[in-house]
Amino acid sequence: MKAPSGHALLLDRGNLKRRKRVNRVIEVTSTIAALLAVAVLLIVVGSVLLKGLGALSLHFLTTPTGLFGDTSGGISNAIVGSAIMVGLAAVMAIPVGLLVAIYTTEFASPRFGHAVRFVLDILNGVPTIITGIFVFGLMVEGNKQSGFAASVALAIIMLPIVARTAQEVLTLVPANLKEAAHALGIAHWRSTVRITIPTAAGGLLTGALLAVARVAGETAPLILLSSIYGQGVLTEPGEALASIPIFIFQSSESPSPDAHTQAWAAALVLIAFVLVLNVVARAFYARSRKRMGA
Amino acid sequence: MEAGALGNPVLRARRSLTDRIGDPLLRGLSGLAAALAVAAMVGIVYEVIQIASPAISAFGIGFVTTNDWNPVTENFGAAPFLYGTAVTSAIALLLAAPLSIAISIYLTELAPARLRRPVATLVDMLAAIPTVILGLWGILVLGPVMHDTIEPALQSAFGFLPIFSGDPSAFGYLTAALILTIMITPIITSVTREVFETVPSDLKEGAYALGATRWEMVREVVLPYSRAGIVGASILGLGRAIGEAIAVAQVIGGATAINVSLFHTGGTMAAQIASQFQGAPGALQKPSLAYLGLILLVFAVVVNVIARLIVQRGKLKDSDTTLTEAEAL
Amino acid sequence: MTKRLLTVSVALALAVAVAACGSSSSDSSGGSSSSPLVGAGSTLVAPLMSKWQSDYASKSEETVTYGAIGSGGGIDQITSRSVDFGASDAPLTPEQFEEADGVEQIPWALSGTVPAYNVSGAPSDLKLSGEVLASIYLGEITQWDDPAIAKLNSGASLPSTKITPVYRSDGSGDTYAFTNYLSTVSPDFKSKVGTSTTVKFPTGVGAEKNDGVAAAVSQTDGAIGYVGLAYALSNELSMPLVENSAGEFPEPSVKSVEAAADAVKTIGKDNSISLADLPASAKGAYPISTYTYVIVPLESEKAEALKKFISYAISPAGQEFGPDLDFAPLPKQVVAAGKAAIGQIGS
Repeated sequence: MKAPSGHALLLDRGNLKRRKRVNRVIEVTSTIAALLAVAVLLIVVGSVLLKGLGALSLHFLTTPTGLFGDTSGGISNAIVGSAIMVGLAAVMAIPVGLLVAIYTTEFASPRFGHAVRFVLDILNGVPTIITGIFVFGLMVEGNKQSGFAASVALAIIMLPIVARTAQEVLTLVPANLKEAAHALGIAHWRSTVRITIPTAAGGLLTGALLAVARVAGETAPLILLSSIYGQGVLTEPGEALASIPIFIFQSSESPSPDAHTQAWAAALVLIAFVLVLNVVARAFYARSRKRMGA
Repeated sequence: MEAGALGNPVLRARRSLTDRIGDPLLRGLSGLAAALAVAAMVGIVYEVIQIASPAISAFGIGFVTTNDWNPVTENFGAAPFLYGTAVTSAIALLLAAPLSIAISIYLTELAPARLRRPVATLVDMLAAIPTVILGLWGILVLGPVMHDTIEPALQSAFGFLPIFSGDPSAFGYLTAALILTIMITPIITSVTREVFETVPSDLKEGAYALGATRWEMVREVVLPYSRAGIVGASILGLGRAIGEAIAVAQVIGGATAINVSLFHTGGTMAAQIASQFQGAPGALQKPSLAYLGLILLVFAVVVNVIARLIVQRGKLKDSDTTLTEAEAL
Repeated sequence: MTKRLLTVSVALALAVAVAACGSSSSDSSGGSSSSPLVGAGSTLVAPLMSKWQSDYASKSEETVTYGAIGSGGGIDQITSRSVDFGASDAPLTPEQFEEADGVEQIPWALSGTVPAYNVSGAPSDLKLSGEVLASIYLGEITQWDDPAIAKLNSGASLPSTKITPVYRSDGSGDTYAFTNYLSTVSPDFKSKVGTSTTVKFPTGVGAEKNDGVAAAVSQTDGAIGYVGLAYALSNELSMPLVENSAGEFPEPSVKSVEAAADAVKTIGKDNSISLADLPASAKGAYPISTYTYVIVPLESEKAEALKKFISYAISPAGQEFGPDLDFAPLPKQVVAAGKAAIGQIGS
């Protein structure tokens, strides 16, 4: 929409030249701000690409991290460990999150539903390091670190994201679909499972993918819960497992340029995973909103 | 198929049996899940207090104002970290909020229609970058630039201010604040942008019809209309900045004293916990870190409650869903 | 069909989640003999430990997991029994012994903590004394051309660069060894800062782990820090020569660390041995040498595995990796004391 500046004189305020100049300054500033944000993204991602691509190889992806100070290894143990911990977290958080959403949208009284939503929002705002302390006290203190403890913490971080996006999507399911089901005498649970959830599936998937993307890069709780791990590719969640974020964190604090290169390469793997998940999630979201006519 | 099944009386009877179990089962399961979510929140508060309790009884409320973190004498206080958290988050917010508003103005009012979605998506992607990678970037890319270029420039221009005194350093409050800025700008932007988009176009057109320039329209229509959303989004961003542990721990330098110079190394509550919790021997150090965690938790809860209250009072429709959704997306 | 699958999987997952949040015992039964020994602590010993890990695994087919989280972390983790053994360069204090309830420490490696500096324009064989180091870390000497430094380096040209002392921000045995030494040579330092795995330095920049300090030093002109000998050598950091009690400036090396260990024959009742206060007769002795200890519970399910591993570590087979990694071999009397201590471990 173009500003009809021909009518500007109708506004009896200052002179037109000055107003136009101010307008121009603001427009340029806003444009620069947007450019800046995009530039920062490009610089960060560019740094990761530029510095990580050289070290990225099949060997890097399929070899476990070397012994202390040995940078000839790779991150296969970290990839496997991350996959196990994030996978376990997803298995715990996604069904529970979906159920919470079903409860608040289908069963709870408006007041109680609102209260649960509120708690979820607060839970979403809890710093992840605090979640780490919680699970540390619950499962690790006096015990051993474990991949399982880490996945519980990640699940707690995922839960509000899954539940809130699911609520959002479930409320978008057209009411006439549900009403039609009720009119046909179909039980509430059946209409929920067979009509509401399938209709909202795309959006639900979005929330799940976003939550996975979010916790895949989560580092703080893992420091307390799964950072003392053995060599080689470990798969037993009862023991502490390696992870990509911890690998990046530890390598980033090393003085050795070789370790930095490895950190960049691992960052590239992580960033690619997270960004791809985000793009896919967005695509699902857009499609599902369109389908529900929102 | 459904209708056929319904018409069959035998199937109908069988179905009602499963229905009699199914309804309460789903209700019960989902209620249990909701209870679990609430229990997690309660558990977090309980466990943090539990671990902190020796420090709470040893230092009391004076912990908050004690400017000391001395493992030798076992005297611990939160002041250096409260200061660090306040300074870094405040700078991040001061930079990120105007930046986010400007980006949102660009995206909703200025950008060519074809560019709007891609640019908005790119900005949102910035929010998806794991903070440990921002920290890595902070250590290896931003840190040296701070030390060699940005801080000397600030010093030569504003060196008379005590906050720009002392020697430039790759790690410190200012580096941490900039990393936080990069982290929260996309979060604030995604909410403000959505709020801007809800401004009714007849209001905007009215302003234009009165001869307003684009900026005057934004100032007189968009900003007042979106005030609650902007404030809520900013406070939400503040909450993220306060709670970020890893990226800050990577670049702030881990000092345990208050320093006026922004170039100096310092510490924040979250970063201090991240870097010391695992290696905190002695009867009081770990409890003191958990005490820091408790203060941080109170901050985070208060900030989130305020943000949501503001947004709900404001005109943003679907407010409380939009916020989390925008954050997540 | 799909709905039943969904319901079942949802119920299952919920059960898993409830179990996860409701009980902490689900994974505590992992104490079976096949699970690896888990240790954590000292970063100083980490390079040697990594050799032990791979060699021991090939010889005994038993794996040892080690987290280099700092000596303070090692003490903390063994106190809470989150690990099977802790490792610390700082001997436990009597209070820490009491808190850890039923542990003993065994010296199992010998090395040094060395200052490292990065000052462009300064000589590569910079000489410093304990008093000067103490004054630097007390913030009393702030420039590299300070008269006290100039006096030790007569003839050398020193830049006026500001000194940036770098210290360990996490609990560290290197901090212990360094502050123990500075407290021995400087009463002022002892009263103002003291000796511990984490202390409150009045000035300087904190960094995490040996790696972080090495990184901070190599990235900052004018910086001085302290790191394990092995780190300084492998990162090619410049090390100043520090005056010993014999008035010499020995190079930090396996040989000079060995000389320091040879000068101290007394082993404490708790198996601690301090090398901070060397006699003037200790020729060629490096002044900031330090033993590093393994801390083990006297009773544990893994007593046999622990005994076996520690016996290996202090045996010639374990110690032979030392010199390449800048660790000096343990003196005979220390090995003997170690063997006696291993005998105390029971299940």
